[in-house]
Amino acid sequence: MSELVISASPHIRSGLTTRRLMIDVIIALLPCCAAAIVFFGWYSLAIIAISAATAAVTEIVYSLVYRKAWKDFKGTLLQILRDFDFTSVITGIILALILPTAYNVRGDIVLLPWYLPFLGSIFAIALCKMLFGGTGRNLVNPADTGRVFLFISFTAYMTACYGICVVQPVVELTADAGEVLTGATPLTAFLAGDGKTLSMLDLFLGTGVDGSMGETCKIAIIVGYLYLSLRRVIKWYYPLIYIGTAAVFAFMLEGFSDPAVMPYTVLSGGMMFGAVFMATDYSTSPKSTLANVIYYVCLGLLNAGLRKATGMEVTSFCILIMNCLTPLLDRYIPRRPFGYVREKRVKEKEEKA
Amino acid sequence: MKKTKGIWFGRGVHVPDRKTAAARPIEDMPAPAVASLSTSMSIGRPAVPVVKVGDRVGFGQLIAAADGAISCNVHSSVSGEVVAIEARQNATGGTETYIDVRNDGKDEKYFLPPLDDPTPAQLCRRAAEAGLVGMGGAGFPTAVKLAPRTPVDTLVVNGAECEPYLTCDYRIMTERTDDIVRGARLFARALGISDIVIGIEANKPDAVAAFEKYDDLKVVELRKQYPMGGEKQLIYCATGRRVPVGKLPADVGCDVQNVATCLAMCEAVEQGKPLVDRVMTVAGGGVKEAKNIRVRLGTPLEEVVAFCGGMTGDAVKLVSGGPMMGFAIVGLGSPTKKTTGGLLLLSAGETDESRPTPCLSCGKCADVCPMKLMPMNTAFYTEAGDYEGAAHMGGVLSCIECGACAYVCPAKRPLLQNIRLAKAELRKKK
Repeated sequence: MSELVISASPHIRSGLTTRRLMIDVIIALLPCCAAAIVFFGWYSLAIIAISAATAAVTEIVYSLVYRKAWKDFKGTLLQILRDFDFTSVITGIILALILPTAYNVRGDIVLLPWYLPFLGSIFAIALCKMLFGGTGRNLVNPADTGRVFLFISFTAYMTACYGICVVQPVVELTADAGEVLTGATPLTAFLAGDGKTLSMLDLFLGTGVDGSMGETCKIAIIVGYLYLSLRRVIKWYYPLIYIGTAAVFAFMLEGFSDPAVMPYTVLSGGMMFGAVFMATDYSTSPKSTLANVIYYVCLGLLNAGLRKATGMEVTSFCILIMNCLTPLLDRYIPRRPFGYVREKRVKEKEEKA
Repeated sequence: MKKTKGIWFGRGVHVPDRKTAAARPIEDMPAPAVASLSTSMSIGRPAVPVVKVGDRVGFGQLIAAADGAISCNVHSSVSGEVVAIEARQNATGGTETYIDVRNDGKDEKYFLPPLDDPTPAQLCRRAAEAGLVGMGGAGFPTAVKLAPRTPVDTLVVNGAECEPYLTCDYRIMTERTDDIVRGARLFARALGISDIVIGIEANKPDAVAAFEKYDDLKVVELRKQYPMGGEKQLIYCATGRRVPVGKLPADVGCDVQNVATCLAMCEAVEQGKPLVDRVMTVAGGGVKEAKNIRVRLGTPLEEVVAFCGGMTGDAVKLVSGGPMMGFAIVGLGSPTKKTTGGLLLLSAGETDESRPTPCLSCGKCADVCPMKLMPMNTAFYTEAGDYEGAAHMGGVLSCIECGACAYVCPAKRPLLQNIRLAKAELRKKK
């Protein structure tokens, strides 16, 4: 009786917590991890583990330093662990999944050095997330930025096998339905075997497709997408807006000549993975529904347009660009309250009366 | 009339029902030995006592008169002697003036004369005389609502009862259906209109069925979604009209009355009985027996809890009203008021006192906001001390304080506190 709690309403709360949301995202990423292991071997698991562990440790170490843990190390550590919300683990896993497991040096297959995911994770968590204020305060998607950082800093590794882009070969495809896709990159030719072609089904299942380890198997991404949508972690229509816009715009850029460009646009490269797991990141996407729709439409347009212009995989750059525009969308796309009447209309009515 | 399905405002949250007392018929609780009647029973100014210590008062006699229009009369809920008029601590920790009447057990009635075939003006006066206030929880004087500035054409009766736990409206809707309908007709008559719409949430099918028997009443079955009983939401869902920002229901031709207020109106007109008792729900994991009881106003909450078998050891939080919009109270020392629709004794498992964690910008608060506001922006700007920004980017001035945002927040942010703070600061500046 003496221990009564006094606080403001509401007195009941939903069971939803940050940690539960984040664990849901990790569960949704598991099919992609499994597909990576199936298609690219156990070394991909090692990369995922290195990346996720580094990300988590970076966050904890950063928090320890920030909170001056040397005064009360054990207490601070326990507090940090209690507040640990798994967002950095997600960042680590996603970063690993958008890296390739192997690269190609003049025909030789060389495994990705272990320190790339390690450095990428540290960069992503320390510079992109913690420096901006931690969970929910980051301006850009940390995993995405981590990959761009690696792409720019270690170009030799990253461009060797990253991102086949089928937008350009498609035109050839209609003329000669063989060898076109395998011609995209040397490694693709190697993995697929000479004379073997990549069908739409291959692209869908990820069999024999080269690329980053998590993004080749589309069926795993779709499973993750369905899980996230059903658990209401993301809104089901946001990734569809992105992918749909990109498909239609790619078709338009090809001059409405070949409808086959649409499934190839959707199924190739990292767009589908980016649309489901990276563009939907809470803190770097806008808050209101209208601003979100604009954000995903812009992403789709950018993605299809830049792919056509560069012939490269550009999803991570598109997401980065749109992340930077998110604060503007939040600021200038107003949300109308229930029962909102435009001031102009009120004035008109008054003039009439 | 046969029920129709109401439309939905497109937002809101699914709250757990937990209506454990739904099957319990209303029990009459014996009158207290001493009734402590607060003079502040409406949203406005406290009433002015018109009796002195030592006076004998009858059951239903006026003991404090309304001070201005936004205030309400207070009547004695027992017959006996006035033993004290003093300022004491109230339920939320502030002070209020209480008039204590020692019950002599005789219940000598001192009611107003019943009205046969009353005129609208008589009905308005009766609502004021009988001290009627909106019994859904806000406590807005009913007489003011019966004199709208713009003409109205529809009376919307609020039977949504969207708060979890509370079942008092449901019980009166099934047990006193006819009285409620007569009360609603009296309200319609006072407003000079004939269209009556009653909105009831779909989780109360027997209440819906009970009202379908009346031909002059349009029954709307509402989707079970919190806050369906919010005035603007109810009007939209039951009639399809949108109350513009900053306007009142009367501006779209609607007048909203709670079912409990309709019942009180019926009694006030037909029996001349002022508002001296009300039906309330006692529920939660901290009380032995969840019950719906009719209590005299001024009954100490301790006695109410004792009537329900007493408290178990688990109660960690006492709430007056519903769990979404009610307020936590400091103890059981205070008495019941006209607006006390519920007393909840919540156990640790039912309430949630987890600490706030950083905002994720997930936007769930904006998704559920029934007023389509941006609670996360309000909280962000308020925490930074920029109240103008909170009004501009968060739309805080349109907030109905339903608490859906804070309910759904995964980071358990204190969104509603920030909203209230911003509102208070903005009001100060004006």
